[in-house]
This record gives sequence, structure tokens and C-alpha cells, in this order.
Amino acid sequence: MSSILIGRYVPTDSQIHRLDPRTKLIFVMLFVILTFLCESLLEYGILSVITAFIIYKSEVSPIIFAKSVKPFWIILVFVFLLHILTTKEGDLLLNLGFIVIYQQGLEQGFEILIRFLLLILVTTLLTLSTTPVEITDALETMFNPLKKIGFPVHEGALMLSIALRFIPTLADEADKVIKAQASRGLEIDQGSYLKRMFGMVSIIIPLFINSFKRAEELSNAMESRGYRGGIGRTRYRQLIWTNKDNMVIITTIIFMVIFYII
Amino acid sequence: MNRNKKTKKLVQLSMLSAIAYILMLFSFSILPSSPYLKVDFSEIPVLIAAFIFGPLGGILVELLKNILDYMFRGEFTGFPVGHLANFAAGILFVLPVTYIFNRNRSIKSLIFGLALGTLTMTVLMMVLNYLVFLPMYTYFLNYPTQNSKELIDLLVKAIMPFNLIKGILVSIVFVAIYSKLKKWIELQIEK
Repeated sequence: MSSILIGRYVPTDSQIHRLDPRTKLIFVMLFVILTFLCESLLEYGILSVITAFIIYKSEVSPIIFAKSVKPFWIILVFVFLLHILTTKEGDLLLNLGFIVIYQQGLEQGFEILIRFLLLILVTTLLTLSTTPVEITDALETMFNPLKKIGFPVHEGALMLSIALRFIPTLADEADKVIKAQASRGLEIDQGSYLKRMFGMVSIIIPLFINSFKRAEELSNAMESRGYRGGIGRTRYRQLIWTNKDNMVIITTIIFMVIFYII
Repeated sequence: MNRNKKTKKLVQLSMLSAIAYILMLFSFSILPSSPYLKVDFSEIPVLIAAFIFGPLGGILVELLKNILDYMFRGEFTGFPVGHLANFAAGILFVLPVTYIFNRNRSIKSLIFGLALGTLTMTVLMMVLNYLVFLPMYTYFLNYPTQNSKELIDLLVKAIMPFNLIKGILVSIVFVAIYSKLKKWIELQIEK
């Protein structure tokens, strides 16, 4: 379980890792739009080559990427088959009586398959190369203009980072509580649904109480270090926008324009 | 509210969001026909937040929970349709409960509130799914557009029983938790 909790960040010192997290966030958003601009297998092919290039550049083992696709394979196959079997346009390719495959259906099936594969790979790339804390920092600076209309951007980002920091801690604690209750005879992974549900009760309650104790400690620690909200606060981690970031964004936009035109 | 209390509230809400996210990982399917609809108990910290800090606290925890999950696990359509639906369902469930419960804060009003919350969520999620989320999925998954009869069939056979069962399960567990945490919750409000 800890593998999902700590996030999927793989520390390598690649060029992708060193990009500004804001660039990577914007890139993923633009990439999503880009997949929707694709209309032919050729365009999907170009996009696949780009994605493969970025994955190569990230210096993260392709096995990790393959693992990230694995949980989705049933849905992928389902969507693929659905398109192949229900589209009835273009030339007839195969007719087995109960299975009729048309050219258009095959093309659409592959296009949708590639689109989802690319989306999964690119979002995985974001979380593999960017720590959740970096993403939070990026979100805070990107939403900064909203401060003017009174939106609590700083507080939101701080809450997100505190939650991120405590997810592993609280998950460990949940694990401990489960073991402690198990030693008292609670069986959480056995028995009827009803039994398991009530098992949850004796795990959730200690979790709440402990987390509030931790909250008290943390807020006292923050107070005594002089935390007074976002105003005038300086940062330990600085986000630096470089020329490389400009390049990435500009190249992506150029591709979007090209894909939009053809 | 003085600064000290504000910081503490901020940290406590963050903790509840973290718990909500962890509980979200322990999700399970209930309808064999639609395994993608999964129940979890992440609405419990949201309810606790709403009871201690008011409805806005609940909305905040619900929002953070979904942002965290989207950050960690993402969504394969790229756009967070499922997370939006989860957020909407959570809010529609928690707000009526909080509203009814706050009138006299007793077990009786809690149970009535939970029943109302389950109903609100079930009914309004059918409407929202029909108007927003299912069309969104059709668009993002590039499904052939379904006619309204197919959509209504899906609503009645999957979405409605799912939200109903989810509401009932969460309600049962929450009543069990609340009856043990009652004093603690009141204590947190006073602090």
C-alpha cells in the first residue's frame, strides 16, 4: 500500500525532472487538449513519437511506465472492442457472422486506444518526475492572481502540503491500529461485509483522535516558529523559470497550432 | 477568531483530508454489473469536519480529498470527471446531514439527516449524471452517443442503487462512529 501513498516519484536527475513544475503542469493540460485535436492515425503517430521521446528523456525505466498502464488494461480493451464492434462505416474487413469489423471501426478503436495510452503515460510522467510538494508549489504560484478576489490560495496550498506530508504518517498509523486491533481479535479482511464494516469503526476512531493530537502539536510548532499566514512569507524552495521551460511551452503550442490546422 | 485558532483549524482540516484520502484507497465495488462504481468511507472525515467546523469545512475536506486523489492516481480520461462526480455526490450527501443535524444535534436528528442526505444524493446524482457526468464520459471516452432510453436505463440500474447503497453504508458506519465520538466532537468545537 505504501507504494501508492508516497506517490510514484522516481528520483533521477533528468532534464524532465529539472524542468519547472509549472511547465510540466501546463504541458500536461496542453497535451490533453492536443489529444483531442488529433483526428487521424498519422497525428496520433506523431504524438506517440513525442511521448516516447519525453519518456526516454525522463530516464525512468519503461517498466515503471508499463506498470502504470496495467490497472487500466481492462477498460482500454473494453473501449477498443466497443469501437471496433459498433462502428459500421468504411470498408468491410472481416465478417464472421457474429463479429463484423469495418475499417472505420478498426481505425477509431486504435485512435482511442492510443489516446488513452498517451494520456495515462503523460500524467504518469508528471507524477514520476515531479514530487507532490513541487506540484503544490506550482499550483500555489499559478493560482496566485486569484488572491486579488479574496480566494485563499496560500491557505489552500498549505493545507494541501500538510495533507501530503501526513498521508504516509497517518497511513502508517492506520496500519498500526489495524495490527493492534487484530491482536485483540478483530478480523478486517475476513468475514461478512457487515463485520468488516464495523471493523472499520474501530480503526477510524483512533485515527481521528491521533490525527487531532498531531494537528495540535503541529499548529503549536508553527505558531512558535512565527507562522502568521501567507503575508510576507518567504520560501525555502524557489521555483525558477528558465529558457528550457519557455522552449517546452512554445514547442507544445506550435504542435497544437499545426494539429489544429490539419 | 484569533490567529492561533485559525492555524489549528487549518492543520486539523488538512489532517481530515489526509484521512479521507487514505480511506478512499480502501474502496470496493458493490454492483457486479458496474465495477467502476466504488464505495468508500471517505465521507466520514468530511462529515466530522462539517460537524466541527461547519459546512464550509466539510466542503473543503471533500475538495482536498479529490485533489489529492487526482494528484496521486489521476484519471485516465485526463479530465477529472469521476472526481468531479465524487465531489458533487459528497457535497450533496454532507450538506443536508449537517443542516438537519445542526438544528438540535441529537442522534435522532443525525439519523434523519443521514436519511435525507442519502436521498438527496441519490436523486440529485441521477439528475447530474443524466445532464453532466454521463455526457462528459461519452465525450471523453468517445462513446457513440447514447439515446435517452439507454441513459435512463443506466441511471436506474447502476447509478441509483449505487448511491443509495453507498449512502446507507456510510450512514450506518457513521452512526456507529458518531455515538462513540460524540463527546470528543463537542470538545473539539469548544476548544
